[in-house]
Amino acid sequence: MPALEYPRLEETLHHERLDNGLDVFVLPKPGFTKTFAVFATRFGSADNRFRLADGREFAVPDGLAHFLEHKMFEEPDGDVFARFAANGASANAYTGFDQTVYLFSATRNVDVCLEILLDFVQNPCFTDASVEKEKGIIIQEIHMYRDNPDWRVYFGLLEALYHRHPVRIDIAGTPESVSSITKELLYECHRMFYHPSNMHLFVVGGVDPEQTMEVVRANQARKRFDPPPGFRRVPAEEPEDAKEPMRQAALSVAMPKCYVGFKEAGSLPAGEQAVRRDLAARIMLDALFSRSSPVYQEMYDEHLVFDSFGAQFTSGPGYAFSVIGGDTRDPDEMVRRVTEAMERTAERGLDPDVFERIRRKKIGAHLRLWNSPEAIAGEFVRFRHRGGDLFRVVELYESLTLEEVNGWLRAHVHPSRRAVSVVRGDAS
Amino acid sequence: MNAEPFVRGQTGRIRLHVLPTKKFKTYAIVLYAGVPLSEADITRVALLPFVLGRGTASFPETLAFREKLDAMYGAHFGYDVGKRGDHQVVQFRLDVIGDRFVSSNTPLLKEALALLGEVLTAPALEDGRFVGRYVEAEKKTVAQKLDAIINDKIRYAEKRCLEEMFRGEPYRLPALGRKEDLGGIDAVSLYETYRKWLREAAFDLYVVGDTSLEEVAALVKGAFRLPDGPPGNYTPSVPRHAPAEPRTVEERLDVTQGKLNIGLRTPVTYAGRDYPALLVYNGLLGGYPHAKLFVNVREKASLAYYASSRLEGHKGIIMIQTGIDIANYEKALGIIREQLEAMRRGDFTADDLAKTKEMLSNQLIALQDNPFDRIWFDFNARVAGAEHTAEELLGKIRAVTPDDVVRVAETVGLDTVYFLRDRKEETVHARA
Repeated sequence: MPALEYPRLEETLHHERLDNGLDVFVLPKPGFTKTFAVFATRFGSADNRFRLADGREFAVPDGLAHFLEHKMFEEPDGDVFARFAANGASANAYTGFDQTVYLFSATRNVDVCLEILLDFVQNPCFTDASVEKEKGIIIQEIHMYRDNPDWRVYFGLLEALYHRHPVRIDIAGTPESVSSITKELLYECHRMFYHPSNMHLFVVGGVDPEQTMEVVRANQARKRFDPPPGFRRVPAEEPEDAKEPMRQAALSVAMPKCYVGFKEAGSLPAGEQAVRRDLAARIMLDALFSRSSPVYQEMYDEHLVFDSFGAQFTSGPGYAFSVIGGDTRDPDEMVRRVTEAMERTAERGLDPDVFERIRRKKIGAHLRLWNSPEAIAGEFVRFRHRGGDLFRVVELYESLTLEEVNGWLRAHVHPSRRAVSVVRGDAS
Repeated sequence: MNAEPFVRGQTGRIRLHVLPTKKFKTYAIVLYAGVPLSEADITRVALLPFVLGRGTASFPETLAFREKLDAMYGAHFGYDVGKRGDHQVVQFRLDVIGDRFVSSNTPLLKEALALLGEVLTAPALEDGRFVGRYVEAEKKTVAQKLDAIINDKIRYAEKRCLEEMFRGEPYRLPALGRKEDLGGIDAVSLYETYRKWLREAAFDLYVVGDTSLEEVAALVKGAFRLPDGPPGNYTPSVPRHAPAEPRTVEERLDVTQGKLNIGLRTPVTYAGRDYPALLVYNGLLGGYPHAKLFVNVREKASLAYYASSRLEGHKGIIMIQTGIDIANYEKALGIIREQLEAMRRGDFTADDLAKTKEMLSNQLIALQDNPFDRIWFDFNARVAGAEHTAEELLGKIRAVTPDDVVRVAETVGLDTVYFLRDRKEETVHARA
């Protein structure tokens, strides 16, 4: 089993690809009492149209990946949480745009827990009755998010930026789309997207790598899998411009919430080039809008924004966008100031000293992540699914140039690709 | 679990708690400053960390202060105000990369403690008082945070339920205080509050990382300029029994989903002999996915996405929360009351009891892997006067019997039922 040494991080990563295509990674953390395992499939809420090997097109209802995540926890003899609990482990799962992630954390009986994780995710068990019952729970979850202003302002921005790309759809779907989901469809999606060749297993914590790998090998050798299903994702035909300049919603909030964002268009980079672009974007957005930036401090001192203000950059297959904002007493003014700061810096470029300072800050923040097995596990699979390598982030930060970071901003700030989302109180 | 212990010391009025370890890549530093909760001072004290976080004598401009943190390889600096029992506790946190991972001219631990010492004891001043524009800006920030509680209906419902449970007592107030107090605060009066707070607060400084008590003590001595005197102390709060009949409170807002929050009381608290049994009780009732609330409200009846309970061990209260369809109020409340009854009858399986103990053990063991969790656990135990280690508490949890849980269940009473619902048809619910 090959081991990759990362002396600067004081970490050693073990990796093996099994015969069935499953990629297994083990990162031992000597001295840690807890072990954290994630089992992830490259199937998320934004994966909704496929071309199958026989040429057929296959489309899934909105919210299916998330529904499947909920249902995987049910077994004929009770639910999976109870089996983890009997071993003192807690289990969870989450669905994102591009992946569904199952995980547990345990301080003992790690081998047993690994088997439970592999078995429950690889053995679906759905009945018509249990699928119907789940609809009630998920519809409550959808309602809970609809009352949440942070969620609403975020998805409002995505709905304004994107015409067709499924990233604009609520991860849980709608009460209507969820109601249309059937047992047969869930089985079909499980067969296609939960094949070992479409998945990663990452284990981090107080484990022995060889012993852990052997548990996984033996577990997988006991199971039979069909050949990997042939499919490819049908990319959404997304126009370059934002769908609409502004979305507004009313909810009972004390102060308006506002996000402004730009989407990227054309042929987007993939693999390590996409990671590089993301890191360049993060340095620039931090330099422009973090607490050590003059723009933030000015807006804060004028009580235009508060410490909820922030900037982030998100990307995946076929999408990449910035999100900037937070609570503000005057959304129009905040949008004006944010856009002006981006346009001004795109024209003049970032100060070299600021670039170096922010780069250093980002390297420090990245190194801090290595304290947290949970954070490592989550980030590692996210990077892998995109063809990137979390262990190379420090090197990539060090190799970025000021010109690259400036170039990113010049390409990013494009008036027709901008949208704004506002959530206001009932009265206004 | 063989966790390394904290080494204790004292420098002037600051108690020191140092955990020397190479397990982490950082130095985790937390300073706690606690004073008894006071109606008169709560908002002023809450405002202090916000103003202190704006700048120091050496870095009076916020931008320069923030740039300094960036230059320390992005040292993470944060502050928070919370309640621990009947105390209002201000917390400053610094998370700094260990020197062996970066090339830095000055050791980062020394820089970090020097900066924290300045934040606390040598703030930016003008004319012998706080900087006026910082005080004004931070008053707005605190006001905005207090206003924002209503945005998150889960938090709002919990806050309202707590307010109803503690009518007439300072504990009903959020740790950030009251918006209406902010108008009467200025740079002069806040500076007076600060001087008094420095004299009276109990200070505890925690450091976890590749260091020693001696090193930390020497660095603190040079960095913190506090008035002389013995360290301050925490007094555990006195819990109350629930009333014979619970109060029911209904409130209307524009919401899609109803929020049902229920406040319970028990005389058992953190330092009490039955605290391990109370932890198990709360775990069985609503702490985990195998707990009664999750299984009966969510899994069996499909009424909710979340249904859980949370224990506040310093005050002896348990808060139940769930989000439901408004029409299902009676049904959900009925199911929840049945679960409380079932706990009193000892109606839980040996298997559920074993699982709950396993989950609690897992949490206690796992917190050894996170430097801030270790600090948090140790500080909570010391505030409550329960000087157990995680390992000792774990032993007591393992020894909890079904009878212990029933004995605790009999002390748990319904205090307040709070329901947040929509503004549609104004039907009045019968008392449940």
